[in-house]
Amino acid sequence: MSFLGAATAFGQELPDTLENKTTRLQGDQITFCLDRQSAGAVFDQKVGQAIADALLVKPVFVDAPSGFPIDAGGYLAELKIVMANSCDVLLGISLQPNFPYPDWATPTRAYADIPFVLAVTNPNYKSLADIPRTQRIGTALGSIGEYNFITYSLQQPEGQRWRRLPYADPNLMLKRVKDGTLGGIILWQPSLSKITNGDPAAAGLRIIPTDPVPASSVQVAALLSSRDSFLRSQIDQAVGSLIDDGTIQSLLDQTKFAGKPAAD
Amino acid sequence: MISTFSRTLLAFTALTALSLPAIAQDAAAPKTRQYAPVTNDMILKPPVNDWLMWRRTLDNQGYSPLDQINTKNVGDLELAWAWPMASDGEQEVGPLVHDGVMFLSTNDNIVQALDAKTGDLIWEYRNPHPQLPASWGYQLNQARRQKESIALYEDKVILTTVDAKLVALDAKTGKVDWQTQVYDSSKGYSYTVGPLVVNGKIISAISGCSIAGTAGGCFITAHDVNTGKELWRFNTIDDPKNPQQEASWGDVPPENRWGGTPWTTGAYDAKTDTTFWGIGMPGPYSQLIRGSGEGDVLYTNNTLALNATTGERKWNYSHLPGDNWDLDSPFERVLVDADASGGAKHLLVTVAGKDGIAFGLDRDTGKYLWSKDTVYQNVVKSIDPKTGKVTLNPDLIPKAVGQQVFTCPTVSGGKLWMAGAYSPLTHAYYVPVAESCNAVTPTVTEFTPGNAVGATTFGPRVLPEGVKNAGVVDAFSVTDGKQLWKYGQRPTFTSSLLTTGGGLVIGGDAGRYLLALDQTSGKVLWKTRLNAPIGGHPMTYEIDGEQYIAIPTGFSAQAASSAGEFPEIAVPSGSGNSIFVYKLRHAGKTASN
Repeated sequence: MSFLGAATAFGQELPDTLENKTTRLQGDQITFCLDRQSAGAVFDQKVGQAIADALLVKPVFVDAPSGFPIDAGGYLAELKIVMANSCDVLLGISLQPNFPYPDWATPTRAYADIPFVLAVTNPNYKSLADIPRTQRIGTALGSIGEYNFITYSLQQPEGQRWRRLPYADPNLMLKRVKDGTLGGIILWQPSLSKITNGDPAAAGLRIIPTDPVPASSVQVAALLSSRDSFLRSQIDQAVGSLIDDGTIQSLLDQTKFAGKPAAD
Repeated sequence: MISTFSRTLLAFTALTALSLPAIAQDAAAPKTRQYAPVTNDMILKPPVNDWLMWRRTLDNQGYSPLDQINTKNVGDLELAWAWPMASDGEQEVGPLVHDGVMFLSTNDNIVQALDAKTGDLIWEYRNPHPQLPASWGYQLNQARRQKESIALYEDKVILTTVDAKLVALDAKTGKVDWQTQVYDSSKGYSYTVGPLVVNGKIISAISGCSIAGTAGGCFITAHDVNTGKELWRFNTIDDPKNPQQEASWGDVPPENRWGGTPWTTGAYDAKTDTTFWGIGMPGPYSQLIRGSGEGDVLYTNNTLALNATTGERKWNYSHLPGDNWDLDSPFERVLVDADASGGAKHLLVTVAGKDGIAFGLDRDTGKYLWSKDTVYQNVVKSIDPKTGKVTLNPDLIPKAVGQQVFTCPTVSGGKLWMAGAYSPLTHAYYVPVAESCNAVTPTVTEFTPGNAVGATTFGPRVLPEGVKNAGVVDAFSVTDGKQLWKYGQRPTFTSSLLTTGGGLVIGGDAGRYLLALDQTSGKVLWKTRLNAPIGGHPMTYEIDGEQYIAIPTGFSAQAASSAGEFPEIAVPSGSGNSIFVYKLRHAGKTASN
């Protein structure tokens, strides 16, 4: 969290007058923001429902801002407005070391740990190590899976590195691995599930280990306004209970998401 | 042709008039007014009294010959009228004036026509774009970021919109003449800057080229001003006609390229029928992540010279090849005719990018002539004096994901959208720039996993070591870059600059001060403090023998992002977007009576 409060790309600032300054009067309900473009949205919504049930409040789900540039221009400014005006909790954020959470926001404990996977079409590949270095590997842009792949690659002699292309569109990745442009694609498992309607095999894909690149996963959590410290502690306790009683694992199974409940 | 039109204000009820005295006063004014169309000849040689386009002339000089307000009497300025803008958001408005009417394009694509002498509203147009749900966060954000300008041509006002439309309004009524959907805004395309219009063509450029769905295409286009029909389109990151351009992205095919946004209105040279545009940074920022190796990633951070009739590339020059720090280079290209060393007479002068380096080019050939730093920078190691080839500082190119480097200037500039101005009186270019540094770290950027919505890591903005003044106006010769003077102060400049035939340089800062400087010496001749940071593009015009100076104020992202460098000066957090209009005080008479 060393970048807590760090500046972000230019254009993040907007007038405070765009934010409501009143406290929402919402009785026995809790409002969750959900990024419906995220591959994890279906799981996150179920987690939100379970958290609300545990807290004996009624959940309301509204859209989180989405569709921003790959450099995130304007994202945090719009998120700040939405969280001030519309919702208490943003579900489905990625907890990563050194991530630039703004100082007006605070993350909850993680509720799930969901992996990145390597998908290929060639039946001869048993792991990433089998893919010839002349092949290109597609990686999900800006992801921890890409990070680990680049880091490993840079540690190898130049002639032994795979060529890599970044993708922001999982469907394009799928198209390119199927037409042979890419030897394999590294992406978040829920993204792969979404673009293959939950059945990668039917789409002609196999999931193989990323060896020798270390396995990657995302710790998924929620984000609250920093001023909502009481609500954060309540949600942290609820998430702990949902992990302990098997609810989170059950929700992962229901949504066909790989991964496991987050460790304490 | 002279047209007449009725004032929409007459439709207001008597009750409204009673409750709004200012409007009631205007309703008593003559019921019709004249409006002379803006001819192509006027565009090529604008009347001295008007301000017809973003920087007044197609060469983007930002200079007005008006001299009634000058170095001797600028202290006698007083407020003529003021006007609150229609919507909150960043204040980057470029007011235009023709035939006594001021046209403003405010946030959310609201266009207003005001009586430029009195400040009374004549008409207002609101772009009825579809209601944007929260999930269209980027488009909402773009709507709140003030667009720099609109354009006037014949009897039309040409507007570029947040939902990627070109709209032609009737300048007399504000009613839509025609509109055309140029791009699919659901992919992320969005206009953020106004067009230039000349010879019957609307030449404009699109933004949103760092959105996942816009990979592979960022464009400058020409459209017919009477019909909206597209005439040509140039892709700034994919030019199959130029093998050098394709090779500059290394192994990366067009569908994996982002960036190259031309987010400042271009210039036009009638002598050669050439339009000049500055191009923004590549995406992703870091070459490690974009996979492009050490390639120049053309035409990002370039000046592009295009044939205005065909859209064919004439030449390009790379101001910051292989950017790794979001120091993009789209800012104003200024055309000046002057004698430079080596025999060049037709110059293109620009502080092209956030790194604050000024360049002089031969605009007929693209040949490099000279360069100079305007603020402290550590990202460019050298520029070859013969070829103009820019060499980056290799120590600041991250060798690993997660490696932090400390760059000067910052992602907020250096130079930013606030345009400089040229004066033929001194043959100097006056540029508002800022001293600043920040840490940049290529890293994991996903905020919501599985989605290409990132959050880029830039450290806090700080002053370079040993530097106390964040705000700088640098004045230098256009022929060789030799410095005329340099003015420094604690707060950053947050507006464009205006130069006038009265020998003045006018602009303002984050500390809400409007300043008038002497073009020759840089001495502050007059200043006054307004309601909010000075913003947008100050301009001047003359009506009935009186010269007016219009000053936009309001919310400034530049002020907000730089405020930490001068914590003793409070920067307002609200909006307050307004226009203040000044003229000379007459003995025994105030401006309002």
